Amino acid sequence: MSFFRRKRLFLILLSLIILVGLVGLTIRDRDQLSAVEEFFQDAVGWVQKVALAPVNYTVNLIGNVDDMRNVYNENQVLKENLAQYQQTLYEVQELRRDNEELLAIIDKTDNIMDYTPIQASVVARSPEAWFNQVTIDRGSQHGVAQDMAVITADGMIGKIQSTSQFTSNVLLLNGFDRSNRISVNVSLPEQDDDARGFILGYNEERNQLVLEFTEYYEEIPEDAFVFSSGLGGVFPKGLEVGSIDEVTTDQYGLTQIAYVSPSANLTDFNHVIVVDRNITSDLDLDEGEEE
Amino acid sequence: MSRLYLPFILLLLIALQGTTAAFIPNFLLEHGWIIVFHSVFVFLVLFTLFYDLEHTYYSLFFAILSGVLIDIVYTSVVGVYMFSYAITIYFVHGMRKLLHANFFVALLLTVVGIAMADYVLYFIYLFTGFTNIEALDYFYYRMLPTVLINTLIFLLFYLIFKRKLVKWSELRFEKKGSIN
Repeated sequence: MSFFRRKRLFLILLSLIILVGLVGLTIRDRDQLSAVEEFFQDAVGWVQKVALAPVNYTVNLIGNVDDMRNVYNENQVLKENLAQYQQTLYEVQELRRDNEELLAIIDKTDNIMDYTPIQASVVARSPEAWFNQVTIDRGSQHGVAQDMAVITADGMIGKIQSTSQFTSNVLLLNGFDRSNRISVNVSLPEQDDDARGFILGYNEERNQLVLEFTEYYEEIPEDAFVFSSGLGGVFPKGLEVGSIDEVTTDQYGLTQIAYVSPSANLTDFNHVIVVDRNITSDLDLDEGEEE
Repeated sequence: MSRLYLPFILLLLIALQGTTAAFIPNFLLEHGWIIVFHSVFVFLVLFTLFYDLEHTYYSLFFAILSGVLIDIVYTSVVGVYMFSYAITIYFVHGMRKLLHANFFVALLLTVVGIAMADYVLYFIYLFTGFTNIEALDYFYYRMLPTVLINTLIFLLFYLIFKRKLVKWSELRFEKKGSIN
């Protein structure tokens, strides 16, 4: 009997050591998943694609029926908006042509705003609520790489956390912390320059992003748009992140911060676009060229 | 043939966990409730009680395996679900020797097991910094709803799988016994 007790104690200690080892190995910021992880991720990804197709279809159907109840009211609002859009569209076309001509004059073809979109569908969401992570059905075989921005039609939702060959994991904005900051601009009306800052993380209680400004700005209107500046070296310029909800100072009263409501819905989306920036930064020049 | 069913069901359950988030009503999330579906774990408890014999540890093996898969696929840290599932299934397996496997024992062990497994998850994630909510908040906002939901899953699974598990167990272990 005492032999069994000792054996049991031994096993538990051994499993504790394995636990600490595995957690320690995988918790670091890694550039790449190990081959074993990639294999299992892809294998389960295939099963998910097959098994979840009918489930997602049903969920979408129910969502659609739900939406239909509001169709009439929405239609009214949209019609009003559409009238305004016509004018904006014309202006945008003019400006775009202008811009192209001017760029052609100075022989500049690459732009920090340009990107190649990679369309992807969400195959799974992490059931563990503390990991704000979704799996999409495009991997490194399709050109997805770590740290690329992920957007929906409404705005940015996150970035690629890790890739395997045929699937990749997206870290959503509400899982961001200080180790994955986004360099952003806030458009100020009646001024030439944009306000600059960083998205530092996510406030769980307010369900909003925390933006820290690099300088002090006198007037920052509420509802001002926040978009990526492209200066972080990974994301292209001009991806919409959200709009300012409240401007305050941080807990020590030294720096100016703002709470930003994300413009994209972070809980309910099925199709995303992975943003592959055309200009590569120095960081990944040596590995980013082939593909 | 029935040997293949079990890993297949587990794989399917693991894959299906990826869609459970879509089924949680939004108003619960707005209240701050966190619900985690441990359907794989519920199945493993049934597996331990109705398939495994006292001296076989297939359930423990599958607990480790499916824990690792959940870790790899759904979280960025490997080892947490593995440890939590393995140690709780080991505990359930140990309790099996003391208690006779029937519906109420299965219900009790599921509730206790879910609470234990989820607390171990919370404990490790707290230490590794993936969450920082306090223990009281955790009990109220996460453990209670999680245990409730998973008890419902247990009732469903009990109806679906109990007879089959007993049958497969007999098929497998009695054949072996007759050879010896």
